[in-house]
Amino acid sequence: MLNGTAASDGVGIGKVLIIKELSLDYTPKEISDTDAESERFKKAVDLFCKNTMEQAENLRKSTGDKEAEILEGHIQIIKDPYLCGEIEKLIDEGQCAEAALEHMCDMFIAMFSAADDELTKQRAADVRDIKSGILSILLGVQEVKISEAPKETVIVAKELTPSMTAGINKENIVGIITETGGKTSHSAILARALEIPAVLSVDGVVSKLYDGQEVIVDGTEGVVIDSPDKNQIEEYTQKRNEYLVEKRELENYRGRKTVSASGEEYELFCNIGKPDDAVKAVECDGEGVGLFRTEFLFMDRSQIPTEDEQFEAYKKAALILKGKSLIIRTLDIGGDKDLPYLGLAKEENPFMGFRAIRYCLKNRDLFKTQLRAILRASAYGDVKIMFPLITTLDELRTGKELVEEVKSELRENNVGFNEDIQVGVMMETSSAAVIADLLAKEADFFSIGTNDLTGYTMACDRGNSDVSYLYSALQPSVLRLIKYIIECGVKNGISVGMCGEAAANSMMIPLLISFGLTEFSVSAPSVLKVRKTISTWTKSEADKVAQKVMSMSSEKEIEDYLKTVI
Amino acid sequence: MVSKQLTITNAQGFHMRPASVFATAMGKYSCDVTIKFNGSDYNAKSLLNIIAACIKCGSEVEVVCNGADENEALAEAAQLIESGLGE
Repeated sequence: MLNGTAASDGVGIGKVLIIKELSLDYTPKEISDTDAESERFKKAVDLFCKNTMEQAENLRKSTGDKEAEILEGHIQIIKDPYLCGEIEKLIDEGQCAEAALEHMCDMFIAMFSAADDELTKQRAADVRDIKSGILSILLGVQEVKISEAPKETVIVAKELTPSMTAGINKENIVGIITETGGKTSHSAILARALEIPAVLSVDGVVSKLYDGQEVIVDGTEGVVIDSPDKNQIEEYTQKRNEYLVEKRELENYRGRKTVSASGEEYELFCNIGKPDDAVKAVECDGEGVGLFRTEFLFMDRSQIPTEDEQFEAYKKAALILKGKSLIIRTLDIGGDKDLPYLGLAKEENPFMGFRAIRYCLKNRDLFKTQLRAILRASAYGDVKIMFPLITTLDELRTGKELVEEVKSELRENNVGFNEDIQVGVMMETSSAAVIADLLAKEADFFSIGTNDLTGYTMACDRGNSDVSYLYSALQPSVLRLIKYIIECGVKNGISVGMCGEAAANSMMIPLLISFGLTEFSVSAPSVLKVRKTISTWTKSEADKVAQKVMSMSSEKEIEDYLKTVI
Repeated sequence: MVSKQLTITNAQGFHMRPASVFATAMGKYSCDVTIKFNGSDYNAKSLLNIIAACIKCGSEVEVVCNGADENEALAEAAQLIESGLGE
């Protein structure tokens, strides 16, 4: 058994096809007719561009625009005037086209590989792909035709290049194994787009497997089983079928409303961290965004982002969502999220300290800049504002006053925004939960953040293995708070959502239905699964379960019971 | 020779697409266009050189144009960077 990175879900069982690296060896020679050599190089580049263009078209049909753009990028790279100019110069000096190309490409490969960011490192793979593509044209070497692979083939390669991927026929290729690449590499993205199970970063796999060998690829667990025995094949065939059945079943929930078995309708949103994630939310059939964490805008940089930068990011997400709900959480720094340029002092107890709304209310310029950017974006969609870490009613009031201040400034300057923008509270401290009745009268909505609510209520750090056993949203104390928050919201006619991990937990869902939650916000890949789970419960069945659970006195008892009903 | 200090605002920094947009636009001009960043000079007409510079969001760069149409080139460079390079 070989281990690697689980990069694309599912199980594939088939026969190995090793994609050997082509032998692109050549003997460098002195060139006397440099014009002819230069012409030979240009012709190879033209042919490369033509082939790549065709591959991009194929890829566009099989996986979509985004993947095709990777290949189109190759054309832009080889047409780079600096790269071409330097290669021409080397040819003029008497080097052969192969050597000139290799020299320049290797220089950029080395430069990109040494970079400290993942995106630049990935460009090295692009340049390598271009180099071997043009070298094989210059040397007249045939590339392996993946498009002609027989049914039930598992591709094994050092690296899955975009040009290889373009030749993949989804009907015939059942799995992909490579020696390099992480979860976010091109190989992984392409494998997921093609919906082919893939395990990447398997050490030395090209030399460990052989052509025609039977192999199992478990892309969900990141495991490769070479020459499996009968039992393993049986086990994994079953696993594969279960995966496919579940996937097909979940697809039935795409495009449908989120409704319980007794007809109550719910909102099913996604949590996102970047404007681009909104695309994923829409692709996964999310009905909006219940939590847009804005910290990304502030991280990995040396100064606070400007109002315009923030505005563009919020506007982008709002436009992608086309009028669907977008709840933007104001800056939640401090605690475990530090921003060096803010110069926050080291604290003894950062989670009890100067963070989130507390920091923002003390640094009003920064806070008002963000509020202004959010308000301006509210002209482009259904944008809502949410304050994190509220513990007192005063904090909510002050926050709302600042929103009003910013509104009147915008009005004076004739800048458009939504006058009726909703301002809500992220319910994630025990204090907020206990005064939910007071907050519900002045907030436009609640969203329960179960991760912090559980941590604060249980006074427990889930990262500490000595106490993490206490960390569970199914603890009676946490459940009582959740129930009380939802009841207070319902009583005051405001919507109550949940954006913590618990919202996607199938044990939690009947309880939330019974308590009266109106909105679930989950990670994009969980949307269809949560919609399905909600559809299996009637309100009265959920009520029965909740009643029983709320009469229980320990987390273990609750969990054991819930496992029997889901 | 003319130059201007500019801040990169793209969330992903100066990557493939923005670099390509920028290099293509600068290629139209006859003057030399250089990006000064972190103490090094990068040929701004070359997508590969720009990518190699690893310029992240929020970074300050200096764009230097030198040649006949330097003013036009600098104006377009500033406009492109300030507008987020088509992202």
